[in-house]
Amino acid sequence: MTGYRIGIDVGGTNTDAVLMRGNDVVAAVKRFTTQDVGSGVVDAVTGLLDEAGDLDAPVRAVMIGTTQFVNAFVQRRNLERVAIIRVALPKGDGVPPLAGWPDDIADGYGSRIYMVGGGAFYDGRDYAPLDEEAIAEAARDAKAAGIEAFVISANFAPIRPDLEQRAEEIVKAIVPGARITLSGEVGGLGLIDRENAAIINAMLSGFAIDVVRSMAAAIAHLGIEAPLYISQNDGTLITTEVAAAYPIFTCAAGPTNSLRGAAFLTGVRDAIVADIGGTTTDVGFLAKGFPRETATANMIGGVRTNFRIPDTLSIGVGGGSLVRQAQDGRWTVGPRSVGFRLREEGMVFGGTILTATDIAVAAGHADIGDASRLADLAEATVSSALDSIHGQIADAIDQMKTSAAPMPLILVGGGHVLVGGSLPGVREILRPEHADVANAVGAAIALVSGRVDAMFDTTEHGRESALAQAKQQAIDAAVAQGAHAAEVEIVEIVELPMTHMKTGATQIKVRAVGPIAELA
Amino acid sequence: MYRVETMEDIRDMSRGAVLLGTGGGGDPYIGELFVRAQIRKGRYPTIIGCDEIADDAFVVSIAGVGAPSVIVEHLVSENTLHRLLARAESFYGRRIDALISAEIGGANSMFPLALSSISGLPVLDADGIGRAVPQIEMTAFSIFGVRATPALVMDDSGNIVTFDAVSDRMAEDLIRVVTGAMGAMAFGAFYPMTGKQARETAIQNTLTQTLEIGRTIRQARLSGTDIFADLLAYFAGWEGRAARVLFDGKIVDVRHETRDGWHWGEAVIAALDDPEDQCTVEIRNEFLVARRNGRTLAIVPDLITIMDRETGEPLTGEMLSYGQRVKVLGLSADPALRKPESMEVLAPRLFGLDEDFVPLEGLMAAATP
Repeated sequence: MTGYRIGIDVGGTNTDAVLMRGNDVVAAVKRFTTQDVGSGVVDAVTGLLDEAGDLDAPVRAVMIGTTQFVNAFVQRRNLERVAIIRVALPKGDGVPPLAGWPDDIADGYGSRIYMVGGGAFYDGRDYAPLDEEAIAEAARDAKAAGIEAFVISANFAPIRPDLEQRAEEIVKAIVPGARITLSGEVGGLGLIDRENAAIINAMLSGFAIDVVRSMAAAIAHLGIEAPLYISQNDGTLITTEVAAAYPIFTCAAGPTNSLRGAAFLTGVRDAIVADIGGTTTDVGFLAKGFPRETATANMIGGVRTNFRIPDTLSIGVGGGSLVRQAQDGRWTVGPRSVGFRLREEGMVFGGTILTATDIAVAAGHADIGDASRLADLAEATVSSALDSIHGQIADAIDQMKTSAAPMPLILVGGGHVLVGGSLPGVREILRPEHADVANAVGAAIALVSGRVDAMFDTTEHGRESALAQAKQQAIDAAVAQGAHAAEVEIVEIVELPMTHMKTGATQIKVRAVGPIAELA
Repeated sequence: MYRVETMEDIRDMSRGAVLLGTGGGGDPYIGELFVRAQIRKGRYPTIIGCDEIADDAFVVSIAGVGAPSVIVEHLVSENTLHRLLARAESFYGRRIDALISAEIGGANSMFPLALSSISGLPVLDADGIGRAVPQIEMTAFSIFGVRATPALVMDDSGNIVTFDAVSDRMAEDLIRVVTGAMGAMAFGAFYPMTGKQARETAIQNTLTQTLEIGRTIRQARLSGTDIFADLLAYFAGWEGRAARVLFDGKIVDVRHETRDGWHWGEAVIAALDDPEDQCTVEIRNEFLVARRNGRTLAIVPDLITIMDRETGEPLTGEMLSYGQRVKVLGLSADPALRKPESMEVLAPRLFGLDEDFVPLEGLMAAATP
């Protein structure tokens, strides 16, 4: 590979950027995230190119991972009202859209709900014809109300995507500029959870266009003529067009990129990863180079969805954690933290608050700030506080492990110095170079993916045939996303046969991953 | 008599229903959402004790039948429940005075409450089994002489099939075939009975138990007290029943497979401080038996529940996964389920286990050094 790649992570506080060539990190910088996103990206990339000096080859691709969209939803900002058209009648009228949502968001956006006729059984048979006139009427009503963002959800959409697609055509004919999210495009089986994901997506759809445009403008402003990609939840990349249409796909990219970056920087594919920040430590599990994902429903901003996100355990230990004496005389660390004020309030930085970073410096794990300010700190205090840090992290690691066998631990994030020596249940501790920008490195790993999650009939053609069909659909989806067809691999297969009924219907989930064709 | 008027109450009931579901019975979440939507509109389910109805009152079970993986797509129709009630009354030829849950463990705890909220009919504070079981003929109704049929099953499109089976075992097979044609999920009216029969055959107070179980867990979480200590203290107030935390550990292996339409599996839980010390829970839709290092701790029809050891959230069999830290709770079945006539349909050997029933209390005593 001759060209360079730029990986950028736009977090809530920091925007990190790395310049990579092949497997090497050529330069890395950390800057503050700005309100408009774009100027922080310009700032970080400018710094990055300054640090790198003259490049002897072009930048071939820019990859950005961002938590902007999930943060916007959690904080209820930059959201717009939506029209939700559910194609399911005569089914489901007792559990309308938004049924399980917190009141602050279910009622606060003037969203409109339309339930119309149509839908399919698990085996693909229609149980009711699509009520095209009712869909058109809903579109006209929403248009009159000035709504531009639409959600269309239909029963068993993962098996019968045509129902939602036909409804979309009808809406588009009436509201040509509509931004439409189809539930089958954003989630698997489980209508409510899938519909919820689609509603979140539609509420963010206007904001997503602005943010993606701001990112693209920043890259253009820097004179970089390379395609821009955005990281999605499983650590693979999507185009800016896809990200602008499906911001929901990016909502868990932060932890994923950190885990993927850790795997990449160490070359270790099976490990525990602890990302130690200022306030929390996020512990995740790498299996074959990818994050282990949660098995059950996830809550995002109080709303239940069923798309899969990395299974991470967050504990209140970070570089800015407060160190205080408990009633029994022992010293405890966290969960309260000085957070980003560490550089003013931590003792080694001239402040007066004893933090976990001060403990790491006193213990000789790190050489940060002015260690002489800790001269009065008792050795017993340091060792008791270290026990608290190590104990909490070791406990979190043990919870994430699937067996008692010791595993490698990869430490990333600025707070990695908190851990010194060894930890129980850990075979070795790896601290890769550039660990503090692992998430930006994770963004720069150029892979794309395709998924299928649908019900297959195993009675007629057998299990093997159903699996082969599902695998091919996932591979085709990856290629459609830009993967190099010859190098696509199946990385995950889940089979869930339908219980309580003697049918051959089996839910099969397959994920295929491959390198971007243009970069392969 | 009382009404379920708050979101907290219905969530508590749903959580309690999962606990009594012993890993099976389906997730009550969809039914809970239905009731929440009604509570938002100011329509509340009403619950009455079996001692509050007349001997000759007419009582019917309202239940969903089908696959848990289908109900999450089909959801529940308000319209269908209204029509089901009307059609059941014309089918049975008399007005229904009260509803009753066929199975309190899992999803079918919620549907009578759902119909109550939209029709105003009361739900009896009782159910057919006090837990979850995989087949219709295994309920206390069937065991003590109330037949599941004549019954009526309908789908959301309005198709209606009525059943009059020679046995509840046969009713089970017939209803499953029809439900399959209806898209693997349907609603129906079963177990027509009198108030007197409900009083004599149903497992009593179980709706209130779901509420109190869920509330105990929630309040312990909020106040930071030990969830399991609080739960055991709560169960200690149940007359004739025993409860115990059977094991505390981490799931180190889970196997799932589907044979003949049933969810079979096994979860292996290892003690946190000693990976050799293991508890194995066998699953056939529900948790059937828990064994510690080969020695039986609790066995069907006694209840076995697996709960998140930090949050106290009860888990269904499908939710179990590697690495979860859990406690296994044992709870003795209602005394009615341990009677000789109950053992004829609920004995462990009928679930394919190669051992006889021993009550939880007996196993506890044997385990005490």
